[in-house]
Amino acid sequence: MNISAPVLKMHKPLLISALLVSLFSTLSFNSAAFDFEGAIKDTLKDAVKKQMDPQAESASTSAPSTENTTAATEPAFNWKNPSKDEEIALGREISGNLLGAAPLVKDAALQKYVNSVGRWVASQSERPDLPWRFGVIESDDLNAFAAPGGYVMVTKGLYRKLTNEAQLAGVLGHEIGHIVKKHQLKVLQKQQLLNFGAGLLSDKYAKDNKLVSKAIGSGAEISARSLDKSAEYEADRLGVSYATRAGYEPFGLADVLQTLGQTSKNDGSVALLFKTHPLPDERLAALGDAVGSKLDKIKNGKTLENRFYVLKN
Amino acid sequence: MNKITKMLMAASLPALLLANICLAAETGSALKNDSMRFEPFSDAKVTGSFTRGESLEIIKKQGAWLQVKTKKGAGWVRLLSVKRGTSSSAGNQTSGVLAAASGRAGTGQVVSTTGIRGLSEQDLKAAKFNETEVKTLESYTLSAEQGKQFATAGKLKTIAFANLNAPQGDAK
Repeated sequence: MNISAPVLKMHKPLLISALLVSLFSTLSFNSAAFDFEGAIKDTLKDAVKKQMDPQAESASTSAPSTENTTAATEPAFNWKNPSKDEEIALGREISGNLLGAAPLVKDAALQKYVNSVGRWVASQSERPDLPWRFGVIESDDLNAFAAPGGYVMVTKGLYRKLTNEAQLAGVLGHEIGHIVKKHQLKVLQKQQLLNFGAGLLSDKYAKDNKLVSKAIGSGAEISARSLDKSAEYEADRLGVSYATRAGYEPFGLADVLQTLGQTSKNDGSVALLFKTHPLPDERLAALGDAVGSKLDKIKNGKTLENRFYVLKN
Repeated sequence: MNKITKMLMAASLPALLLANICLAAETGSALKNDSMRFEPFSDAKVTGSFTRGESLEIIKKQGAWLQVKTKKGAGWVRLLSVKRGTSSSAGNQTSGVLAAASGRAGTGQVVSTTGIRGLSEQDLKAAKFNETEVKTLESYTLSAEQGKQFATAGKLKTIAFANLNAPQGDAK
């Protein structure tokens, strides 16, 4: 975290030179392209700064209400090939909106526990370097969410259905799989590239600082959107793979799918989950096809129900 | 048979019945067509088969396998070929051998007393960014090293296992 400041400072001369170039070019040629570049750099700098050091951002804005991010600090975005920091900034925006709908359960021990399990499972993924963070949110719905850059959230309703750590590892593993494979990011990219054409943002959009908000829609709408069925099956396979590598009993996720399968389709708590995911039976069957005999030799996987954190209410 | 014995039998009958219900195997249904085997190994002798949707009785769980009984036969079958519970109307049926095997027994489901708080599509659309909550979420971020310490404390050991691929010739 501390290294972020010097890195940003090194960017400043770059930015100034870019501005100078654009100034010179104004004198002779059409400057649109350079202005555009400057705008991107500027907003990107803000995005990175906001990401690396949120305190600095809130300190610089004198307005007391930081609940709504101001237009000026919205990052412009390289949709064609987003950097890790851009991916995280995007995930932060989406997670902040989701948390606006359902805040974190105020139980630090619970959140710490979920982060411990999640971090360990994420370390078995192809992207152990992301700043993985996990949260249990206040909702009786049964659902879990992932946002780009390593943000994972599980509802209290779903957590309540779990009885051991292997099941939690499976659920978190599924969401980690979505992030590793950039499923949500790809959907957003596709949409943006369609909107703007081959990733070339027009001047109009570059200057519109609500770019990310535009992309993810109103509020946490993006979190209510479905991914391809194939993306869900892939996340199931990865969830099982990561949890298994982490040393857990491999059928934790399958256990949870069984529980979900026994929840009535008319139960409101699974309405969104069943709308955005293939039904549990289909997921179990697909998982069974992929697993085949591959888990036959996995012994000694742990369920760790003894240290599973039980909700206080 | 004397009267006393008869009375004793009559008295114990309800208890016996009750015990019978409690010990009854969990029911399930087949998620796909599959064969049953004599032992929980993929190269064990096939003892029978079932078709998708067929109801079955779950007797025991062992690793990746379930011992089941159908109307026509019995044997071991892969865990992921079976759906637990009778149907979606079965509700929250999580008792039985599988519950015990997965550590569910004795944990006790805690019932929410705070009322239902859903998270519908409408709720999500209407949501406003909450900076304070994101900061709190981010404050819980752990390092890879901390994750490893947690794993060590639980005696979790990593194993070599390749990512599962989509089944061959399957678009899923």
